[in-house]
Amino acid sequence: MDLTKDAYGALEDIVGPENISQDLAVRETYNQVWGNKLVFDEKWSTRPAAIVMPGSTGEVQAIVRACNRYRISFKPFSSGFEIMSTALASENAIILDLKRMDRILDIDVKNMHALVEPYVSVYRLEMELAKHGLYIGTISAGPEAGVIASHCCHFGSGTTQVYAGGLGRNVLGCEWVLPTGEILRMGSAEACNDWYSADGPGFSLRGILRGHSGANGGHGVITKCSAKLYHWYGPPEWELKGSPPALKRLDKVPDGFKAFGATFDTRDDAYDALREVGQAAIGFSVWMLIGGEMCEGNDEFWEMFQKMDPAEMQRLAQSLLVVIGANSAREMEYREKCLRKIVDKWRGHFLPQLNDPMYLALRSAVMLWSIGTVRETFRPCGEFFITPCTDATEDMIKHQNTAMLEGIMPYVHKGAIMQPGASPFHLPYENYSVGSHIESIFMFDPYDDNSLQGVREWTAETFDPKGKFGKFGVPCLGGGLQIEPVSHVVQNWGPLYDNYDVWLTKIKDALDPNNLGDWSAYVPPVFP
Amino acid sequence: MAIEEYEHDSLRCTRCSFCKWIPWESMRHPDFMQGCPSASRYNFHAYAAGGKFNLALSLMKGRIDYTEGFSDAVFRCQMDGSCDVSCKAVQEIEPLQNMQELRIRCVQDGQGNPSHMLVIEGLKKEDNMMQAKKADRGKWAEGIPVKDLTREKAKVLYHVGCRYSFDEELWPTARAGLSLLMKAGVDVGIMGRDEACCGGRAYEMGYLGELIKFAEHNREVFKAAGVTTLVTPCSDGYQTFKVLYDKVGQKLDIEVLHITEYIHRLIREGTIKFTQKVPLTITYHDPCHLGRLAEPWVHWKGKEVKVLGQMIIHDPPKKYRRGANGVYDIPREILRSIPGLRLIEMYRIRESAWCCGAGGGVKEAYPDFAIWTGAERLKEAEAVGAKAIVSACPWCTRNFIDTVKETGRKMDVYDIVELVSQAV
Repeated sequence: MDLTKDAYGALEDIVGPENISQDLAVRETYNQVWGNKLVFDEKWSTRPAAIVMPGSTGEVQAIVRACNRYRISFKPFSSGFEIMSTALASENAIILDLKRMDRILDIDVKNMHALVEPYVSVYRLEMELAKHGLYIGTISAGPEAGVIASHCCHFGSGTTQVYAGGLGRNVLGCEWVLPTGEILRMGSAEACNDWYSADGPGFSLRGILRGHSGANGGHGVITKCSAKLYHWYGPPEWELKGSPPALKRLDKVPDGFKAFGATFDTRDDAYDALREVGQAAIGFSVWMLIGGEMCEGNDEFWEMFQKMDPAEMQRLAQSLLVVIGANSAREMEYREKCLRKIVDKWRGHFLPQLNDPMYLALRSAVMLWSIGTVRETFRPCGEFFITPCTDATEDMIKHQNTAMLEGIMPYVHKGAIMQPGASPFHLPYENYSVGSHIESIFMFDPYDDNSLQGVREWTAETFDPKGKFGKFGVPCLGGGLQIEPVSHVVQNWGPLYDNYDVWLTKIKDALDPNNLGDWSAYVPPVFP
Repeated sequence: MAIEEYEHDSLRCTRCSFCKWIPWESMRHPDFMQGCPSASRYNFHAYAAGGKFNLALSLMKGRIDYTEGFSDAVFRCQMDGSCDVSCKAVQEIEPLQNMQELRIRCVQDGQGNPSHMLVIEGLKKEDNMMQAKKADRGKWAEGIPVKDLTREKAKVLYHVGCRYSFDEELWPTARAGLSLLMKAGVDVGIMGRDEACCGGRAYEMGYLGELIKFAEHNREVFKAAGVTTLVTPCSDGYQTFKVLYDKVGQKLDIEVLHITEYIHRLIREGTIKFTQKVPLTITYHDPCHLGRLAEPWVHWKGKEVKVLGQMIIHDPPKKYRRGANGVYDIPREILRSIPGLRLIEMYRIRESAWCCGAGGGVKEAYPDFAIWTGAERLKEAEAVGAKAIVSACPWCTRNFIDTVKETGRKMDVYDIVELVSQAV
């Protein structure tokens, strides 16, 4: 549907004619994103009534106020690259594309935090921070992932969380335009205009800001975020060489870092070693291999895959890659010694093929900066999905992994989905071993009926609280939880976990009395 | 081909927005990460290659019709192929081909760009893209005692193209290129006023028929002239003769070389020797049509098959054009061999180079956008400390000269041929 003339005029007055469009064709480029076929059974989700591009917090606030005045729903996003990112619960809704808000506002080197706007990507910030010897934790969603999206708005994990912790924990303040149009600054930003703490005075709002899986734009617009930074042991700049870009690599593991590949006799041993790397606080980035190798294209991958020994692939799937960093030779020596002891304890080996310097240089680049790009997840079959996706204790994760492998294999064997390795994607979640994280990634073709059906069945199995996977915890994939085929997850699981569904709806209602923050990837104030 | 041929690709576009940036593996500086001028300048997703997939899919499914926003997004684009490189670093879909077919569909449906239509009218009447008189085409070479291939025979045809033929400010470069060949003893000739457009720029504007018409004409003319090699100082022309003619089934049966390739050959043979110092600190701008767009066309026939359950592969294996096999090293080797010249690289180079701004009919239809894009490139040249920017294409050179004039930036602009001439 179109906006009324008055409503459009009000929004146009705020951002200027260049930064708003209700052209039908332009709107049609804001309702097509991966995952739509799985969720909506077609490429398109609801077409927004207009696209608005604010350039400042003031403009965002004015837009939200206008939305309240004209009763228009709104949904903000930065890159817009996520399942459900373009989904709208109502046709009477606009999308706020935050592309113009792309400034790195401050890098506080001494106090180790950076203040950014929504369209600042993780990799861009990392390049800027490296000049100062600083680093920000990455999400395994590729280099274009937004700092604010990953820290404040959405659920995600990454290989460097063993070093930099969970991204939600690194929020040191944010500026938040609530669905009413009020501006909320959390913590010290409000108290003293400094951005070093997101907590207090009074109750911390960090849990409400993001919870576990993020509100995905459902409770307002985060216009600034201060993120905690960590030491960067590497050089101030770097260059990957080669051609084409898919084959570019570092010519060595960067100075300040060392990388190792450790292979274990069993998957459980690998998990135990992984946990201890976290406990010892020596890792900068850890990754459990998933069997796939990066290649120029699918044909090249297939050619390589056919030559691989299945036994060798299984061993790779029981291997860890660990990058350690240090400021001094002595510190490096200590960390390497710890790592070797851990590997030794769990009967691991440093196989030559996983410890070839060029191989480690290739792997270290993605482990430091950008794991999980489109190449690994979308290119093979078209799309990917993750389920189960759980945070739990290490032992629980091990059990879930075993059960998951048994559960998913029928779908692999009947050709519905592809899982190139024998093991799911598995990361230790925090740097203190307070828990672990599992993401079972698999690839599928949403435009293949057999594949789509298989994914839906598998998803239903893992999302059923009364099913065999139920005992392993709430499905924690952010977004998409209210829409078929994964409907009513919050309602189904809430009663099993302290009625969190009730709390969520109460929070939504309190923050958004007019229910204008689009809830399609969050919760509605009242379940339909 | 047609947009329908790319429906599968449109469905598989994930909205990752990699098309807006250079590949992350190529990023060197946080201020110079963007790859798509159109998406950078106009912001809305429709202007990116991903948005064009959306537009094409929705158009073919009847969800939308042509609108002002549709046309604006389709034609405010240099068709420079940066999106294609970035997309294919991670995917196996064809954004640039989809965009090309979308333009062709627009033209077929009477929805071409009005400014382009004027240019095409001129092309149809006068065989050139410059809205100039055909009779004036050979004037750039007046006074040079070179063979006229309409009457004489030579092994090498020197084809300067529309821009060099009618842009008087650039004539010295066109003449210098010819002089270099003649002084090196190359058996070279020109077509003079009978030289015709290559058709490449018209094709980028969406006029497939013009490309085929000129391809057929030029094939015949080149055959009649008996030349064995075509040398051009125009990167657009080079890509058209080498790649596009092959793409539309009109592959030339003569060798096609850009003048940098020929000069490089002459340097290696010792025919061209540098004796003069050229004390400049320069940076080299990779023209899109000499770089990522100049990869040979890949004719693949086969089928998609699935392995490992759902992984899509090709039988026989398909080699994608990912931008790596353009002409990148040769111009750099020439420049590095010029005494006194210091070459500094920009942050976005080779297949990840930022466009000069002139391509795809933007210079003709949206001159302000062309200047904006050129200015972004000059900022990058300044950032690395270059005093001059050197290209190997008259369209780039023209747009950089215009950008310097309009913005007041302090940057000298050269074509590589000019520097070679100074050095011999």
